[in-house]
Amino acid sequence: MKYQYSSSDNNKMDIWGVFFYILLVAIGFINIFSVTSDVNQTSLVLSDIAYKQLFFIGGAIVIILTLSFANVVLIDYLSYYVYAIVILLNIAVLFIGKEVGGAKSWFGFGGFGIQPSEFLKLATSMALAKFLGGYGMRFSGWRNVTYSIGIFLFPVILILLQNDTGSALVYFSFFLVLYREGMPGYIIILAFWMGLLTILSIVFQGLEISSYYLVGTILGVGSIAVYFARKSRQWVVLITFIAVSSAVFSTIVGIVYDKVFQWYQKDRIEIVLGLKEDKQGMGYNLDQSKVAIGAGRFIGRGFQNGTQTKMGFVPEQHTDFIFCTIGEEWGFVGVIVFFSAFLGLLIRLIQLSERQSDAYGRILGYSVCCILFFHWFVNIGMTIGLIPVIGIPLPFVSAGGSSLWGFTLLLFTFLRYDQVRRN
Amino acid sequence: MQDVHKNRSRVFVVGLSFVFLLFLYRIGTLQLVDDKYEKRAINNALNKITLYPARSVIYDRFGKIIAKNAASYDLFIFPKEEKVDNRLFIQQILQIDSNQYNKLLTEAWINSKKRQKNNAYNRSAIFYSNLNQQQYTALRENLYRLSGFYIEPRTDRAYEIFGGAHAFGYLGEASEQLLKEDPYYQPGDLVGITGIERYYEEFMRGTKGIKTVWQDRTYKQRGEVQDQAFNYPAKSGPDFYATIDIELQKFAEELFNGKRGSVVAIEPSTGEVLAFLNKPDYNPNDLVGQDRARSFRKMLIDPKKPLYNRAVKGVYPPGSTVKTVLALIGLQEGIIHPGSTKGCGGGYRMGNIVVGCHPHGGPLDVVGSIRISCNSYYCGLFREIIDHPKYGSTHNGYRVLERYWRSFGLGDPTGIDLLGESSGNVPTVERLAKRHGKKWRSSMVISLGIGQGEILLTPLQLANVAAILANRGYYIPPHLLKKVNGLKNNGLKEEYRTKKIIPIDAKHFETVIEGMSQVMKPGGTANGIGINGIEICGKTGTAQNPHGKDHSLFIAFAPRNNPKIAIGVIVENGGFGATYAAPIASLMIEKYLMRDTASSKQFMIDRLKSTVLEPQ
Ligand SMILES: [Zn+2]
Repeated sequence: MKYQYSSSDNNKMDIWGVFFYILLVAIGFINIFSVTSDVNQTSLVLSDIAYKQLFFIGGAIVIILTLSFANVVLIDYLSYYVYAIVILLNIAVLFIGKEVGGAKSWFGFGGFGIQPSEFLKLATSMALAKFLGGYGMRFSGWRNVTYSIGIFLFPVILILLQNDTGSALVYFSFFLVLYREGMPGYIIILAFWMGLLTILSIVFQGLEISSYYLVGTILGVGSIAVYFARKSRQWVVLITFIAVSSAVFSTIVGIVYDKVFQWYQKDRIEIVLGLKEDKQGMGYNLDQSKVAIGAGRFIGRGFQNGTQTKMGFVPEQHTDFIFCTIGEEWGFVGVIVFFSAFLGLLIRLIQLSERQSDAYGRILGYSVCCILFFHWFVNIGMTIGLIPVIGIPLPFVSAGGSSLWGFTLLLFTFLRYDQVRRN
Repeated sequence: MQDVHKNRSRVFVVGLSFVFLLFLYRIGTLQLVDDKYEKRAINNALNKITLYPARSVIYDRFGKIIAKNAASYDLFIFPKEEKVDNRLFIQQILQIDSNQYNKLLTEAWINSKKRQKNNAYNRSAIFYSNLNQQQYTALRENLYRLSGFYIEPRTDRAYEIFGGAHAFGYLGEASEQLLKEDPYYQPGDLVGITGIERYYEEFMRGTKGIKTVWQDRTYKQRGEVQDQAFNYPAKSGPDFYATIDIELQKFAEELFNGKRGSVVAIEPSTGEVLAFLNKPDYNPNDLVGQDRARSFRKMLIDPKKPLYNRAVKGVYPPGSTVKTVLALIGLQEGIIHPGSTKGCGGGYRMGNIVVGCHPHGGPLDVVGSIRISCNSYYCGLFREIIDHPKYGSTHNGYRVLERYWRSFGLGDPTGIDLLGESSGNVPTVERLAKRHGKKWRSSMVISLGIGQGEILLTPLQLANVAAILANRGYYIPPHLLKKVNGLKNNGLKEEYRTKKIIPIDAKHFETVIEGMSQVMKPGGTANGIGINGIEICGKTGTAQNPHGKDHSLFIAFAPRNNPKIAIGVIVENGGFGATYAAPIASLMIEKYLMRDTASSKQFMIDRLKSTVLEPQ
């Protein structure tokens, strides 16, 4: 019988996974407490936001306890149902949700709100694991590839409709999961190459240099490569194809960028690319966020002493920009501790995934790992000015119930699965 | 099923670690390279609020308060936080139109950027200075809803007694140039522009304090920074005692009613200036507060020039007053002795040049020549000195004379503690050559002997000559600072504690002083103008004025022995020295020496007060 316990319930939940989780939540709470506390405050009085966070942490513990009694068989078995229900919730929110900060993605319950898209990540992970982890399934053939990608691209459309571009991006982390599951590596390289071409096209647009120069350069380099490879017909064809398609691609990107994006969106992108300097308008947040982190120096300015974050120079200092507080108050040392905890968790997740007895567990583990990584990457990259300002939370650390509960659910579903089904 | 891609897990571990290190490197470049971000963070969150010190209170020499401080309020703005909704309200309170409002806002934008050198980011700037009481009250009550605005208190002058305006000077807003030169000042700061307010600005201004407050992104103050290193109180300027006797000063101003000119009175033994008067003058209370700029512009274009400090900037031919000096030089050089007499036939004749003299009796000795102020005597003496064979040539002889003059402080600034003092004019041989030709002879410059021609003195120099005569041969540069408690040497410079010695023997002074004493007596040019019971030594002067009526001049000191006051008076277009200048000097001497007794010459006071030479 397929659905049965392969191990006993005597196993403990993975101690390292739990340890890193507690560490990250604690780091989050300390910094939320600090950044929302009163100016000049030295006593330990909790702000409203810190109180709420305590409540959310309490909720997270309830989630963990509930999961620790969950029947693992059900996790696997219910995957598609969970996916379907959460998808329906995310469609419903489009009609009956309330708008918060331009994104219509919240169900309101009195003073609290809940964002169904936070649970869509888990649901998608489960559905993808269920599909790809099916017996004898291999990641090849058009049908399988299309279904796999469809499973996580459909949520992207829903989230885009909710006006939450940041969260939508996260779903691209499933490509990393597909890579683990056998997607050819050249697709990743191709993605990198397209990304590079995209950035170059935007830089040329931003500097108002005609895109002919970029196309000319690509074709020129291609011609030289063809000359050196002229003995092999195969290479000539390949290089010609790459050069021509690259030229076409960058031309299209340039036109799309110019016509489709609004000026403020272009501003954001161009500020990050260093094409524009604007310390008062768009770039203000970015600039202040860098100032906050830079101000921490080696050992930080100390608990509750981060004026940059506390005084509101950094926006959303307890949610999306919580990392600024870590950087400002705890300095480089604090950043190393935080990074170590996060990287520790991710690597532990890879180890756990690799020891799964079935593909379902492995894919679920990699999904969790890649989602967490992508969130971390976009969030930190934003605060240090490497990628555009995209509002997504830092897992376990940012204030807020949906985010904490969503990620807790995500992580502990896998940890629970691992607890029971590991080899 | 076989997992063919198991080795890809290693790609993940390596890839993730690489990205983490990359980010860590980026964060390291922000945190570990230098402290520029730390400085910016500190500047962001702290607003250093200037605490304005009270300026030195100015007292007269007897401790009467002349100028003190009054609270004044300036409206400041963080231009970024200004809201369009509030404009109308603010325009109504300040009674300005929208154009003026926009102009003020633009200026504030510019100034808020300038201030960045002191306090790098997010600075505010002055929007409207010197709010009046109504404006202050109305704004303060509504400040909570006027985003971006706040009020800063500072101090302005308030004058208890209107007198000595040109000595004390006025305050004004720090100029662009000053702001550039001295980082202590910020736009809108009040600084001394003239007078001792300007000269002693550095300690009269006191020391600004700082109150540091937390400030959030919208510039809302979020409480005081507790660390004492960020807060220090303002230190008031120390009490400033001026040398002026304000009662004497006021008295002189009354006597000068309706006249134009200048009086300087000096305590001879110390060089302390007892009275320092210019007419026309202004009311110092017009140059404070909101009306400052408007009044100032009005005064600038006023043809009467109320701001003009003629006591140190105006130059006049000294006329007969400097005969005293010439007599001393003649005596010291041995060219005459006290008994040397000269005749006078109603004037001094050289060929076809005649220097007229008024009718008087028989040959005069030195004493008589001063009593009578005989022009012939001094024309003759002048030529005898510079043409004396012992000097080899007229020009060399003149050089000797010029050196003496300069030793009396003529032709050079006296060094009073005011800026912009004129040197007056004592011509050099070369100057005279330009005017009269290279081979000029004594006959061509004869008028110098009677204080006319190229020689020009300031009223201050004139008074200083009186002080030298009183001291029998020395002076201390006149000054307006008496003492500042707590400063080394009471704040007095070395120069104001050092005698300048005139190379003329005291016995020669006694001869000249005898003559000056007789000026006030029967047969003297100022007979009847003296004061009973005080032996005044004086010398009249009547300076020809190419632009109009002669100027009336007088120098004097009293009492003869152990003099307490020396004085120089010029009444422009006042005619004879004895007409206005001498009585003013006499009355001031009486006032100073017998301050609490009723004047013995009340009729003279009444006459002077009511004589209007020109409408004011
Ligand atoms: Zn005569």
